[in-house]
Amino acid sequence: MSRQEIIDSHTHVDKVGWFDPPETIIRLLDEAKVDRAIIMTYVDAPGRTSDALEYIAESCARYPDRLIGYARMNPGYGQQAIDMFEHAIRHYGMKGLKLHPVSYLQHPASPQTVAIVQKAAELNTPVLFHCGDEELSLPLQIARLAELVPDARIILGHCGGYFHTKDAIRVAQRHANIYLETSAMPYPAMIRQAVESIGAHRVLYASDGPGCDPTIEVRKVRLAGLSPDEEHQLFFENIDSLLRLAGRKEAQP
Amino acid sequence: MIIDGRVHLGEGLFGQRQTVTDLLERMDRLQIDRAILTPLRPQHYHLASENERVADAVRNRPDRFLGVCRVDPWQGADAVTELRRSVRDLGLRGVYLNPWEENFPINDEIVHPVVREAARLGVPVLINAGQVRVSHPTQVADLARQFPEVRFIAANGGNLNISGMLLSEARAMLDACPNVVIETSGTYREDFLEEVMAEVGPDRVVFASGTPYYDQEFEMERVRCAHLGEQEKMAMWSGTLRQLYQWD
Repeated sequence: MSRQEIIDSHTHVDKVGWFDPPETIIRLLDEAKVDRAIIMTYVDAPGRTSDALEYIAESCARYPDRLIGYARMNPGYGQQAIDMFEHAIRHYGMKGLKLHPVSYLQHPASPQTVAIVQKAAELNTPVLFHCGDEELSLPLQIARLAELVPDARIILGHCGGYFHTKDAIRVAQRHANIYLETSAMPYPAMIRQAVESIGAHRVLYASDGPGCDPTIEVRKVRLAGLSPDEEHQLFFENIDSLLRLAGRKEAQP
Repeated sequence: MIIDGRVHLGEGLFGQRQTVTDLLERMDRLQIDRAILTPLRPQHYHLASENERVADAVRNRPDRFLGVCRVDPWQGADAVTELRRSVRDLGLRGVYLNPWEENFPINDEIVHPVVREAARLGVPVLINAGQVRVSHPTQVADLARQFPEVRFIAANGGNLNISGMLLSEARAMLDACPNVVIETSGTYREDFLEEVMAEVGPDRVVFASGTPYYDQEFEMERVRCAHLGEQEKMAMWSGTLRQLYQWD
């Protein structure tokens, strides 16, 4: 292989909120020489738009070699949200669940969240959480969910943000089903610390583009002082393994 | 020319440390021409000797450094005296306020005597902005509106929020307060910096790393990779800072 393949584990495409059509992230991925990206909306489904999941599915269909979809859901809609999520996985070919508790205002270990995350575990899809410094998105709060649904693979997006990166690493040390994701948080040294603490196999590169520039976010990983093998795990292998399992019932962790 | 708009020196109470030797070595490697220095909060709690440490560094390398003193507004009249001493006697050219580490809301009345003194001395006020309880962009704007004659620099892009939910408030602060500029340091998200340059003005964003809180090398990428013209980047790298601090 002449060049290290890179998958960006967290980017956005949407027609509301920050208006970002798929072309915006594709242009930035090209600049950053990133091969593929996981996309999700800014809004939850069900929610502000009636076709959020369809918009992701259409974007992926337009760029099948570049984009992979996650369904961003509002667990507060109970069975309706679970059914829509399952439909997105089985019929739209989506590969994961995105949850942003600050958006839909539920604790990450609420019964409705547990229910949809159990469905994600059943479908073998990863669950990407917004994990920053705000109430409802703190690492120690999400860790309670990881304990309740040990079969779910839970990714802490932003690795705890500006002030909770150490907590993110702590909970990942305690729970083998927690993965850490590098986007937006500003500390290359924390990436190294995460790899040293939990191993490179549970740390994922992501940008949170197009707001955060994938070129800069790739550079952040390169500044963490990892070995070429470790970098390859962060940029490609870890998320590739998670995505390969997605939707396949037989392969439980 | 590249100027790093905020670099902290000393051995910090909260575990950070940075020496002049380490800093100069790294600045040479990264081709950073100059830096604006200000103290970390020291383990012994006294800021005056740290302001002297900064003044020493500037005295030794005036070609590379400009100094900004740090004061604690809770010290009342002593903070004002220390600011005056730092500017008049030590040759420092601005004042840094850290409302998080010194624990005061930036728009509280205790800050006013310090800002009034900065106005008298004609030096800018650098604020560790974006801390929700003490330096939320609405609080920084509340202060800046009361002192339109003072130039304020808001660190951390004026906001610290990884959801992006504070970006609109940072933008509102910039729109309401022509006397405020923001730093690139630690910002979420880079397209916000591009938006501010294009829509608010090319003289409203300055490069600063905030090292050792942030990684100096990584922070440079925010300017280097920005989707902006060469002239706008020059303003971010050094032009606006040179004008703010009147540094030829």
